[in-house]
Amino acid sequence: MGDVKVTILPRRETREVEAADVGHLLRSLGLHQDAYIVIRDDVILTRDVRLQSGDQIEVWPVISGGS
Amino acid sequence: MRCIKCRAPANVEVRRHRSAFCAGCYPDWFRTQVQRTIDDDRMFSRDDRVLVAISGGKDSLALWHALLRLGYQADGMYIRLGIGEYSERSQAKSEAFAAKHGLRLHQVDLAADHGFTIPQMRNQREGKPCAACGTVKRYHFNKVAVDLGYSVVATGHNLDDEAATLFGNVLHWQTDFLGRQGPVLESTHSNLARKVKPLYRLAERDSAAYAIIERIDYIVEECPMAVGAKSLAYKDTLNALEETQPGLKYQFLVGFLRQGRKAVKTEDPVQIRECAKCGQPTTAEVCAYCRMVERRLKKLPSLASPLGGEGGEGQQQ
Ligand code: SF4
Ligand SMILES: [Zn+2]
Ligand SMILES: [Zn+2]
Repeated sequence: MGDVKVTILPRRETREVEAADVGHLLRSLGLHQDAYIVIRDDVILTRDVRLQSGDQIEVWPVISGGS
Repeated sequence: MRCIKCRAPANVEVRRHRSAFCAGCYPDWFRTQVQRTIDDDRMFSRDDRVLVAISGGKDSLALWHALLRLGYQADGMYIRLGIGEYSERSQAKSEAFAAKHGLRLHQVDLAADHGFTIPQMRNQREGKPCAACGTVKRYHFNKVAVDLGYSVVATGHNLDDEAATLFGNVLHWQTDFLGRQGPVLESTHSNLARKVKPLYRLAERDSAAYAIIERIDYIVEECPMAVGAKSLAYKDTLNALEETQPGLKYQFLVGFLRQGRKAVKTEDPVQIRECAKCGQPTTAEVCAYCRMVERRLKKLPSLASPLGGEGGEGQQQ
């Protein structure tokens, strides 16, 4: 298990995280599953998808606020 | 995980339904849910002209897209709120979507047409203009719908929005708001459009997934005024619970609509009349919008000029 490269939208902050799968990735970033979508190579991933060292991952927030 | 329709590798899991879909099957599932909601709650038919409230975000654009695919007559309406670059970008996304699909997008420009912007309407105590923003949106969406003869206004409120609103209203025991919360607000006056929320049974994540898969270019960033909003804290709390109890938000909201609402519904018929200033429907002598604009303009006498409005007299309605 190696590091995956994570970009968190909308500000595009980058992180390197050790994670075996998508669920694990979100937990180690402290993010709720219902509040984010995880994308690799333009494809949305479910939480059971295994990640490889060197994967480029985008994490998109889905929650909007206000009134 | 596999798609429950075609067994291909899944892309979108919907935990509360114990289902998952591939990117090919997901959009149909989403639209079927929208269709069912519209039918179950008798929101509108294909003969109705629907005005969709557009913000440039995923929910409103996903809703507009889905309604058109389902064969409804839906035009959009966007309000230029004047919230700096955020407003510029969300306007650009909304206009680009309308242009790409050859759709009609009505617009109201608060600064140019009405002499104020949303950031100027900050509540002194909370430092947020969200309450004023809500009043502005309700007012102008209603007015345009009534003036242009739309039978219904559809907004992109989703399950997370509605569950968070319910949660807040319960925490503060806002029984009058609770009694009025629902996916359909009937018209009770000829100047009052019906309002519906066709996404209220779909989660925020569902509409984002729909927008991404359908390649809808929406504004991902948040309105800067939302930072620290209570609704975000409520959503976060509900999502923390949902982690270990999938379906909780849905049960909370739908359970309330089916059972709880009856218990708090106040049946006293509120008298709707016309605002003495602008003629829009209100329960008071002067409507909330007119009162708000007047109050603010008194405090900000030089408001209109730097915005390129009418020098010093921004009160035109
Ligand atoms: S966050 Fe507040 S100010 Fe921004 S669009 Fe939403 S309601 Fe309006
Ligand atoms: Zn499929
Ligand atoms: Zn008025």
